[in-house]
Amino acid sequence: MIALLLVNFILMAFDAREITSGQRVVRAWTQTAADFVQSPVTSITASISNYFTSISNLRSAQDENGQLKQRVQEQEVELKQKEELASENQRLRSLLDLKEQSKYKVLTARIIGRDPSVWFDSSIVNRGSLDGVALNMPVVTDGGLVGRVTAVSPLTAQIDLVTRDKSGVGAVIGQIGESNALGVVSGTSKKDLLEMKYVPGAVDVQVGQTVFTTGQDGIFPAGLKIGEIVSVATGSATTPHQIQIRPAARLNSMQEVGILLYEPPQRTEFEQKLPNAVKPK
Amino acid sequence: MEGVRLTIALIIAVVLQWTLRNIAEPFAYIDFPLIIVVFAALQRNAIRAIIFGTLAGVAVDALSGGLLGANGFTKTLIAFLVSEIARRVYLDNLLLRIPVIAGACLFDDLVYYGLHRLFGQPPLGDVLVTMAYSLIGTTIAGTFIYFMLQNFAADRVRPKKRDIFASRRLTRRRNPIRLNK
Repeated sequence: MIALLLVNFILMAFDAREITSGQRVVRAWTQTAADFVQSPVTSITASISNYFTSISNLRSAQDENGQLKQRVQEQEVELKQKEELASENQRLRSLLDLKEQSKYKVLTARIIGRDPSVWFDSSIVNRGSLDGVALNMPVVTDGGLVGRVTAVSPLTAQIDLVTRDKSGVGAVIGQIGESNALGVVSGTSKKDLLEMKYVPGAVDVQVGQTVFTTGQDGIFPAGLKIGEIVSVATGSATTPHQIQIRPAARLNSMQEVGILLYEPPQRTEFEQKLPNAVKPK
Repeated sequence: MEGVRLTIALIIAVVLQWTLRNIAEPFAYIDFPLIIVVFAALQRNAIRAIIFGTLAGVAVDALSGGLLGANGFTKTLIAFLVSEIARRVYLDNLLLRIPVIAGACLFDDLVYYGLHRLFGQPPLGDVLVTMAYSLIGTTIAGTFIYFMLQNFAADRVRPKKRDIFASRRLTRRRNPIRLNK
């Protein structure tokens, strides 16, 4: 028994050391093995639950149908206006000789497993290193930022959500360049709330404002939507605001996510020499 | 045969733990592998229970955001403690097993949380609320599972003939040597 306890303790110590950077080898290979069981079971259970959900949805379908027809007519008018704006935008861009370039590709991934432990909230997706996924790649949905990749196996990857206590994302309130309300967004003890720290108390912050990534953390690219401010405890000239944010992405009901195949810009030689910098392997 | 049944039960428990949270969030509060590990420990086979504890724990940790080995550590410890208690105290009644699974669940959560604090990886959520829900979920599910395991999966020993019929009273044979005395 003592030998087994020791083995587990060593595993924990090893995992705690490797949790911030580097490949978590044991975890990656166990996930690969588990994928052979988890993927088919998840597919079966998802199809069964979808079947029952679709039956229950039929009941409210008739009422929704009338409302949707009305909305379609409204949106057709909006669409025509937007098409005109898009064509105008296109003309202006061609005038300025700007080329539209996508900064990074998005790899669609299906969530095949949620954290089996109640204490954490990570997810497993069906894309791995064979698909080009690497550590620390940002994960998004159409709503906004979800988290980042924390372990990669050949067939699967593990995602830690932004709500995890240890995560920290460089963020700005409002659009970059227009606002100087910079801070760091991290998880709280509540699963559906984020906290924004270090925003100077002198800056005006309102409930309902949107928070975006700045790209200064070296993991997430700039301009990703993180969430919306739900409460502000106003600071002073010397103390920062205490801001709580509701994540834009629906973290509890995600089925599919997008992994951004994004590599952050290389740090300068000076930054790499800093004592707390992560040394390249 | 009992070992094979328990091994199958443990594999099913780990697969359920991996997959059921996808269907509904409340299933996360039930620790299926712990239920089977405690049941194995109650059979008074400490070595088997300890090995079950380590394997199930590491299997759960592999897909968890927590530390690899944390569940393995706690379940190994619980398997040992429960098997030691079961050797000393009569725990073959289902009613007596309910507080055992409840206590094991509380201890598991406490040690798991403590280990993560020790390694600087604090878990999400309110500790007391999570522990309370986990205690309720695991105890209720454990009671049902133990009832099923006892009634449907336990080795049914066929009663011997001499146990069925009332034993005939045997007259004591007298020692012929002692008769002279």
